[in-house]
Amino acid sequence: MSAAPSLPVRALAALGRPVVAAARATLELWGVLIGTLAGIIRSYGKGGRRPRGAVLAQMYAIGNRSLVFVAVTLGFIGMVMMYQACLQFSRAIGDLSQVGLQFLRLVVSDFGPTLTAMMLATRVGAGIAAEIGSMKVTEQLDALRMSGVLPIDYLLVPRFLASIVMTVALTILGAAIMYGAGGLTAWLSFGVNPRTFFDPAMVQPRHLALGLIKAVTYGAAIPIVSGFCGLRARGSSEGVGWATTAAVVGSSFAVIALDFALSVGALWLFGGDL
Amino acid sequence: MTARAFVEFIGVEKAFAGKPVLRGMDLAIGKGEILYIIGTSGVGKSVTIKHLVGFLPIDRGEIWFDGQRVDQLDERGFYPVRRRVGMVFQNATLFDAMTLTENVALPLRKHQGLGWKAALADARRRLAQVYLADFADRYPAELSDGMRKRAAIARTLTLAPEVVLFDEPTTGLDPVNARRIDRLIRELSRTLGVTAVVVSHDLPSIMSVADRVAFLYQGRVHALATPAALAASADPIVQQFIAGRSSGPMETPGF
Repeated sequence: MSAAPSLPVRALAALGRPVVAAARATLELWGVLIGTLAGIIRSYGKGGRRPRGAVLAQMYAIGNRSLVFVAVTLGFIGMVMMYQACLQFSRAIGDLSQVGLQFLRLVVSDFGPTLTAMMLATRVGAGIAAEIGSMKVTEQLDALRMSGVLPIDYLLVPRFLASIVMTVALTILGAAIMYGAGGLTAWLSFGVNPRTFFDPAMVQPRHLALGLIKAVTYGAAIPIVSGFCGLRARGSSEGVGWATTAAVVGSSFAVIALDFALSVGALWLFGGDL
Repeated sequence: MTARAFVEFIGVEKAFAGKPVLRGMDLAIGKGEILYIIGTSGVGKSVTIKHLVGFLPIDRGEIWFDGQRVDQLDERGFYPVRRRVGMVFQNATLFDAMTLTENVALPLRKHQGLGWKAALADARRRLAQVYLADFADRYPAELSDGMRKRAAIARTLTLAPEVVLFDEPTTGLDPVNARRIDRLIRELSRTLGVTAVVVSHDLPSIMSVADRVAFLYQGRVHALATPAALAASADPIVQQFIAGRSSGPMETPGF
């Protein structure tokens, strides 16, 4: 009979297990991304057979059905942020003429896409993970494979494409509402002249480009992370619940991490001019 | 060269989280045969049929289908196998977001390359064959269990498979619908020469339909015989299972 492993060996194994699991999960996540990109080529390349109207249906589900949620949330965030900004500006320097200029730059390059994506991560991410997860635990994914369909092509490709398009569209809408609500707050609460506030002078094409790149990246990341969580669902309803929670946490984290990475990259590229 | 059976499992081993389920299972199934796989819950019956279509990889052993070794195929490699081997899942597993017609049309479109309109027309015809023409535009959630199961069978049969795997096809059905499914399995085998591998606990079904029965116990085929021979077996373990006795020599994990 072999002797039981010593304490250091058991401690090392206990430490190593989550590291191995995390590495495996990371590899699987990349596998889902690569599989989805390959699925786009398979579905939309020469001789490809794409699901009929699937992207449009997902655009409606992801975009139209998130419209009110995103608009209201970003409107309120814009008001709260502007109120606080005006309060601090008036206390510190007593001049509010620059507040609109700075706010627009931030909304375009950062707050607009990031906050829109955070909202989508909760609503859309949870929906994708719950749908794919419940299909997984009820063997519908196996039934798809028996029907000659790769689940990634059928489920993730339309969501991936629709999410990119609609995240960009909702970012434009959300940023406009946020900026408008901020301007209204500054005018009604602090008497900032709307002509002074709504001045796009400080927004450069690079700010717009950064905002657009962020929106596209977030739009791609949310269905990939959520789909990955749904595909890992095990067991029954508890597994679907776990997948849904993991999708919301993972998608939100992905948005924040990507925001950091893209902002650092842009700072490195443009320096203090950003 | 060794002559292989139409479907053959050789020394198949499979464990989940270190817990062995199949422990060197050998099983050979002839063409056109109706073979029932029986055994206690968790013994590996569904796992066995899932191995054949590549849903679960085996840990050790070999699986052969029509002279081709299939256990080493990748996902794409299994495509041609899945064209020839259909599966009716335990819970029908129709796609919730599709109507019955769309469900049945999907494999026609993907495996046979039919256009969408042609696939839908063919799907309607096939639904009529299982008496579901009036429900063709309904969603699965709007139908009874028996209807869903019939639609799932229609979907499986669209590709004219040579082997159909049934995972507990009569579970949850009333006796009338259960016997209808039995009759369908028999007709498939007798009229079309389809090989049927059926996982089941339904003794009336087993006794009236099966050509042979494989009784799985402790990860291996413990007994393989005709239903009559199995019923007459002197093996105490087989007898305990057939009689449904709670006490006896059978070791049941978890009890």
